[in-house]
Amino acid sequence: MMRAATSSGKPAAVWVQAILLLFALLLPLWGGAYWVHVGALLWYYALLASSWALLAGFAGQFSFAHMAFAALGGYTSALIVLHMGISYLPAAIAAGIVLAMVVGALIGFMVLRLSGPYLALFTLAISEVFRMMLMAEEQITRGSLGLQVPRFFSGDSDVPYYYLGLALVAGSLLFMGFLLRTRIGLFLRAIREDEDATRASGVNTTRYKILVFVVTSGIASMAGIYYAHFIGILTPNMLILPEMGIVIAMAVIGGIESLPGAVIGAAIVYLLSEALREYGELRFVLLGLALILVQRFARNGLFPLIERIGRRPAPARADTTAKSTAEKSHAS
Amino acid sequence: MPVDQSQSFFSADGLAKHFGGIKAVSELSLSLNRGEIIGLIGPNGSGKTTTINMLAGALRPDNGAITINGLNLAGSAAHAFARSGVARTFQVPRLFRRMSVLENLIVPALSDPHTRRAQAEEKAHEILAFLRLDALAGDYARSLSGGQQKLLELGRALMLDPALILLDEPFAGVHPRLLEQIIEHIKQLNQRGLTIVVVDHNLDAIRSVVRRTAVMAQGRKIADGAAEVVLQDPAVVHAYTGSRKARNG
Amino acid sequence: MSYFSLLTINGLVIGLIYALTAAGLTLIFSVLRVVNFGHGALYMVGGYVSYYAIRYLGLPPLGGVVIAMGALFLFGIAFEMLVMRPVYSDEVERKDEYAIIVTFGLTILLSNLAIVVFGPFSKSPPPFMAGTLILGPIVLPYDRLIAALVAIALLCATTWFLARTTLGQALDAVSQSRESAAVIGINPRRMCTIAFGLGSALAGGAGALIAPIFALSPSMGDLPVVQAFIIIVIGGMGSVGGSIIGGILLGLAQSLGVGYLPDPNRALAYTQAFGALLLIITLLLRPTGLFGRAHLRLE
Repeated sequence: MMRAATSSGKPAAVWVQAILLLFALLLPLWGGAYWVHVGALLWYYALLASSWALLAGFAGQFSFAHMAFAALGGYTSALIVLHMGISYLPAAIAAGIVLAMVVGALIGFMVLRLSGPYLALFTLAISEVFRMMLMAEEQITRGSLGLQVPRFFSGDSDVPYYYLGLALVAGSLLFMGFLLRTRIGLFLRAIREDEDATRASGVNTTRYKILVFVVTSGIASMAGIYYAHFIGILTPNMLILPEMGIVIAMAVIGGIESLPGAVIGAAIVYLLSEALREYGELRFVLLGLALILVQRFARNGLFPLIERIGRRPAPARADTTAKSTAEKSHAS
Repeated sequence: MPVDQSQSFFSADGLAKHFGGIKAVSELSLSLNRGEIIGLIGPNGSGKTTTINMLAGALRPDNGAITINGLNLAGSAAHAFARSGVARTFQVPRLFRRMSVLENLIVPALSDPHTRRAQAEEKAHEILAFLRLDALAGDYARSLSGGQQKLLELGRALMLDPALILLDEPFAGVHPRLLEQIIEHIKQLNQRGLTIVVVDHNLDAIRSVVRRTAVMAQGRKIADGAAEVVLQDPAVVHAYTGSRKARNG
Repeated sequence: MSYFSLLTINGLVIGLIYALTAAGLTLIFSVLRVVNFGHGALYMVGGYVSYYAIRYLGLPPLGGVVIAMGALFLFGIAFEMLVMRPVYSDEVERKDEYAIIVTFGLTILLSNLAIVVFGPFSKSPPPFMAGTLILGPIVLPYDRLIAALVAIALLCATTWFLARTTLGQALDAVSQSRESAAVIGINPRRMCTIAFGLGSALAGGAGALIAPIFALSPSMGDLPVVQAFIIIVIGGMGSVGGSIIGGILLGLAQSLGVGYLPDPNRALAYTQAFGALLLIITLLLRPTGLFGRAHLRLE
């Protein structure tokens, strides 16, 4: 059965992912504390980038509120643990995720009638309001001074966090990938293509738009909770616009329509920015430039390009132009 | 042919819609028996598109009822109309461009939670065979020619297994050979029992598929009956041409 | 009364600068149908260009504003031609997304470039005119007065340009309908390029005007651009008049809010949030903004 659409599962892509996974599993053995720490932080971004790719790339909901969900999860879990004791950690985590999913559903509902730039601006405004609340309510959140958060694991090593993060990323990718392979994934992609036509095809687009917000905000909050109990300190800086921008850049550069692509994009952007740390802000100048160039010349990101290199020369079908199709079919 | 409202399969009663201060449609009533095929014609600006959108559930009427098989649909969401057996095509095909032809077709079938993927794909292949598009199953929808896209648009509507299908300008912008094919498909579908409303400007094409036509002008229905009769009606001619002389041929 | 009038006048000045920024954003949106997420960066660059023009070319402060506007106009044109072009060819399927990403990339690029080139610390260009105007209960530093007057002049010029000149009307035509404009001989692509250039110039001018008052820094555009987004949503994307009214109202609301709310820390945070809340409420009630129509309107 010929499949024209790009989704995970093509032979070359699976190989590449398998190799990368192996590499990731073995990194702590020879990487040294610094790179393990970097890796553990990378998983935070990978979770955000891939879930955002699902939201914006597959379902077409270009939301700027993603980091707000991470912050919501992180702060909720942190505050519950701080006020009720470390034994409440599982409950705190659950509360953080559930709260984020409920708010996600609410926001999904609010943006139903919005599209394109309006949706982007609306979610940007929501994120900013939340950030300002976090800053203003200093008594609760400690504002920019930072909220101290008890860590998951005792001891100085970041290795357990690294593997926890990796497990979260792998689990999320599997779950989201599974979702995309079901009819839900088909509906989300159709919604992105043309929502009216999707409705005319009998699909309750409202339900699926809200669903994708619930799922992705849940994953984002998980990322935030992971971050909170790993780094041990939370500030409202986690949701400033540049942070959202970095996540967007990661997804776009890696491949906004590919979940593993987004993870690889996160890796490329984050690891490069760590490696080039001494160049300071110049790194981000390059990031902005890369973002523009990738959009201009490789709209689907770099990962699909890599995929294509590995693939056997595809039959002309998937990239057929109107002319050659016309010759083939009797219907013109 | 007189239609008994109480037994009609699909009916719209007193539909009205205004935008801002403009009355796009007023007092539109239409009734179809199961298996009927009618044309809906009218000059530009007569309210045909608004009417089709209301009949398909894409637009909520300000007033009036829409009933299919006794079920009142007015006010329901568009997807509910589709799930209740009302399918429609769009004037300019609105396909899922970056999805394959097959994927375009299975989306409507899968909107029924009881339909499994394999069933949907099988049905899609049947429809593709019917439309003579089988070779294109794996291609991106955007790579199809204009005519093929129109056929795919029709195919997608058929995947809903509809009882009623609203065709919005199926003949527009189509070259003669494909036009014949589309006319043939419409006839075949009607023979299989599908109730069809065809909106178009191509009066000759419409006359070759329907016996009954309704005419709209300025938001109202001004005629409804046998096509040859309706098209000679002075009011209809006036609406189209501004004169009261009957059209030749 | 004096405190109130001080706040009011401050609010008006800020509001006019917001209005100018929003007018540029609106122009770009109505002609290109694109929200320029890079607008804040352009505003910031305008401030810096003005500063360096004054310092190294020895120009009078207002000359710096002119240079800033000219430079940003050219930059806007170049960026539009190089990067925004695909938006209206048929290559790009998801045009909205493309535009958001690409203009966002511009912000990332320019903001960080500014940090690298100009350093992260703020600079202060010389004021337009030293001293303060004292008129009865009104106390107004001259540079704010001049900034306000120039902003008003630019806004009037923009409105006049759009309504009275052939080019301006051509822009309006494209904003209403690209196809119809093409049919009557207007080249939509060129209009888009010009619109982006003009919008950038207005942003640059706003930045250059505000710089002597509030100082320059690479992040100076971050908050104003959010305000500009709020304004165009509330004032109606495409309505220059709406931008003006919205800008002034927002400036006043913020100034009075900070001045009168009891707790200074929360006051600052919440007055900034106020605009964002306005945007949220507006879009909830009317998904296409308060004044709706997307084409350029002048009243």
